[in-house]
Amino acid sequence: MKKVLPVLLLCALFLAGCAAPQATQTAATARPSADFKTVYAGELTTLNYLVTGTTVEQEVAANGIDGLIEYDNLGILKSSLASSWEVSKDGLTWIFRLRKGVKWITWEGKEYAEVVAQDWVDALKYSFNPKNASKTANIAYEALKNGAKYYKGEITDFGQVGVKTSDKYTLQYTLEKPIPYFLTMLSYVSFLPVNGKFLNEVGAKFGTDNKNILYNGAYIMSVFEPQNMRVLVKNEKYWDAGNVHIKKLEYKYNKEASTLAPVLFLRGDISGTGIPTASLDEWMKDPAKKAMVHPATTSFYSYFYAFNFDPKFDAQYEPDNWKIVVNNANFRKSIFYALDRKAAMITAEPYAPERRLSNTITPKTFVTNAGKDYTEMGPLAAIVARDSFNKTQALAFKDKALAELKGKAKFPVKMPMPYRSDLSDWSNRAQVVEQQLEGLLGKDFIDIIPVGYPATNFLGVTRRSGVYAIQECNWGPDYADPETYTDPFFPGGTYNWPEKATGYIEANGKGKYENMVTAAKAEVVDMTKRSNLFAEAEAFLINEAFLIPYAVGGGGYVATKLEPFTYPYAPFGMSELKFKGQIVMDKPMDSAAYDVAYKKWQQDRVAALQKAATSTK
Amino acid sequence: MVKYALRRLWQSLVTVLIVLTLVFLLMRLLPIEGYFADNYDKMTPEQREAVLDSMGLLDPWYVQLQRFYGDLLRGDLGTSVVYRPNVAISEIIAIKIPYSVRFGLAAIVISLVSGLAMGVRQARDKGRLWDKTWTGYIVFINAVPPAVYLLFIQLYVTQITRLPILYRRDNPVSWILPAISMSLGGIAGYAMWMRRYMVDELNKDYIRLAKAKGMSNKAIMVKHVMRNAFVPMAQYLPTSVLLTISGSIYIESLYSIPGMGGLLVDAIQRQDNPLVQALVLIFSTLGIFGLFLGDVLMAVFDPRIKLEKQGGSR
Repeated sequence: MKKVLPVLLLCALFLAGCAAPQATQTAATARPSADFKTVYAGELTTLNYLVTGTTVEQEVAANGIDGLIEYDNLGILKSSLASSWEVSKDGLTWIFRLRKGVKWITWEGKEYAEVVAQDWVDALKYSFNPKNASKTANIAYEALKNGAKYYKGEITDFGQVGVKTSDKYTLQYTLEKPIPYFLTMLSYVSFLPVNGKFLNEVGAKFGTDNKNILYNGAYIMSVFEPQNMRVLVKNEKYWDAGNVHIKKLEYKYNKEASTLAPVLFLRGDISGTGIPTASLDEWMKDPAKKAMVHPATTSFYSYFYAFNFDPKFDAQYEPDNWKIVVNNANFRKSIFYALDRKAAMITAEPYAPERRLSNTITPKTFVTNAGKDYTEMGPLAAIVARDSFNKTQALAFKDKALAELKGKAKFPVKMPMPYRSDLSDWSNRAQVVEQQLEGLLGKDFIDIIPVGYPATNFLGVTRRSGVYAIQECNWGPDYADPETYTDPFFPGGTYNWPEKATGYIEANGKGKYENMVTAAKAEVVDMTKRSNLFAEAEAFLINEAFLIPYAVGGGGYVATKLEPFTYPYAPFGMSELKFKGQIVMDKPMDSAAYDVAYKKWQQDRVAALQKAATSTK
Repeated sequence: MVKYALRRLWQSLVTVLIVLTLVFLLMRLLPIEGYFADNYDKMTPEQREAVLDSMGLLDPWYVQLQRFYGDLLRGDLGTSVVYRPNVAISEIIAIKIPYSVRFGLAAIVISLVSGLAMGVRQARDKGRLWDKTWTGYIVFINAVPPAVYLLFIQLYVTQITRLPILYRRDNPVSWILPAISMSLGGIAGYAMWMRRYMVDELNKDYIRLAKAKGMSNKAIMVKHVMRNAFVPMAQYLPTSVLLTISGSIYIESLYSIPGMGGLLVDAIQRQDNPLVQALVLIFSTLGIFGLFLGDVLMAVFDPRIKLEKQGGSR
């Protein structure tokens, strides 16, 4: 009650537009759960969550370090170490009040210090120092006032950067410009805290092993033996220990993990496994195995086939000829409508290929605005409603393209299409796509040339180097706003350089898509208008066939004892890497039970989203 | 002998320097995207530069080379920059070497004892059932890719025998299958060469003389044939022992043994230049030293072999 008056004053100053802070969670009681065991092939190189950018390494941070906010299993943002927050009317200043009594714990489970607001300042000071080579610092420094200037060395006083403490438990961020989705960014590694004293003590050793970091989250890493195993145990001093049910997470390294995992699961040695596409038939035809299998959830990684507008491939594939045809919209549209995406998807998802197909770049249910899914907004609604595969339209656009390009381009057009030869799904899909497109459009029109490459530096030698005509690409979101899916196609991206397409340059010398996205980014007050502007930009990209939306990631089938829909759910960031809230069941769930659980989860989520939308008005 | 050793030492040093410098330069020809794992697209140009700077890669190549040799002269193998950033390479290797050496030595002992015994028996029973059966084993091991039969052993032998499928330090029973798997190729190799060299020796005149003098077959085999047949094989024994440090790429990855196997491949793929250079230094030094020891061992076994040129007509 002591702080009611200043809080009231603050509320008078900072008007609506602040997200409603969640009520303090009632104390939960941990439910019984078996330990979680798994095998993995991708080893951690570092536990330093302030610098790493890889998902595997961020899993340690997701389970060992809490940030200001988190998501519940329905995808509703709620308080974590921040008990409340406010945002100023101009959207530039965010104030967070911390939960008191949260402790930093050593790997042995001993208390080291209390978590305080200064820890967030120290973390950013560390990651904003280029010498520390943080791969994720840009997400924070591009958002905070003077962050980019400090990183680039234009200013040297960190005090000018938009992060400071008002008192021991109050943290203030000042943004460079209003960011409507700023709260959602706080779930990412870039905004996690660190104890500055400990950081100074261990110096360059920070994060080199489990003993050289501190923990304030649900788990502590008790064992870290690279290329052998790692073990995380429940932090018994965790502030929300009642919601942590699995007491031990055991990871055993094996380079052939994807091959061995199904065998180990059947022997009861691990808690779950993905079912490789090549083995799926065997599992589905065996009643005993089928009873253990259910579909895996899809992710928000977006897959699409990109046309390259800045070709740099070998002369034998005639890049100059490609450059002529790719700038013809009818040529692109002929391929856009000719691609049978379902046939391609069967190579990866033989039992339910439609589940992963996506007609848009931004996946469905990624964001909603006033209860409406983003992909139902503006011109995207029509795109979502139809399948792009249309033989009649494909051939019609082909005829138009031939007429327009007569005498200008050589046919068949050579189209090198790289793929990773170590991935059997992708190898098969490359053959399917080649045969299907050439079969429909004719080998006298296009000559698709699948080119296999090894995994090592695949993207470096293909997509980033422009050594492709058409390529299957993907992109994952960084925050909960449609803007995140524009990054690959905005100038400066390394995907397909649509800004180099001819015929789309506007009066200001910039491309139409760039101008549309810039206008959308500038809208930070009216979120519905903002979403509509992004929807128009995305629809333009798709309707002009700069690329062909293909699928979302994830999917496939799993056999697992992890109870579904208990993990913190969010379409980006680290939430899905968390084990907080999860339960290891006695036996795996079959597809029928999973479908029931999924339907209930969807209903609960819709209700929760509506409730959250109502409470912020 | 001393002159020979000094000359070999000098040659070895020059060889190692050439190899190291070549590898150093080749690593710096690799594309820079390899230093960023999956993050390249999401990083700003300033961040990419900061990462490269932190690895010392923005300096001219001759400055980097000078720094590398300077550290080496001080006994510093350097720090990993990608594989395990900020961890001393000596620390990484010190953890892994004991695993590889233990399994490697166990495999060598099993291979030598079993392989030599098999080869001797084959030579003695040349053309009979035993010889033909083990020849079949040797052909199988040499013809079938190890990846196939090793995975088969791991999956099906563990099922039948209930042996653990993965290595665990605290479970000695889990050490058995990896050690045996590692020795299978060696058994076939030692048996094959032992048989071959013994058969060659058995056809020589001095053996006929020994038989004519009334020596028993057993005495001929043990005192003459085996010893002479072993001489050419002795040359490679020191290298095999020393290079147990390099581990077995496939076995260690199959059974989750945290040894040295695959470390060099991993380091190259991740473009961890200091780690690659340190490993090349270690492996090339051990390989060269092993060859030297092999030559010495041959001279010990066979007094006719001289390591240095003698005066005279030849």
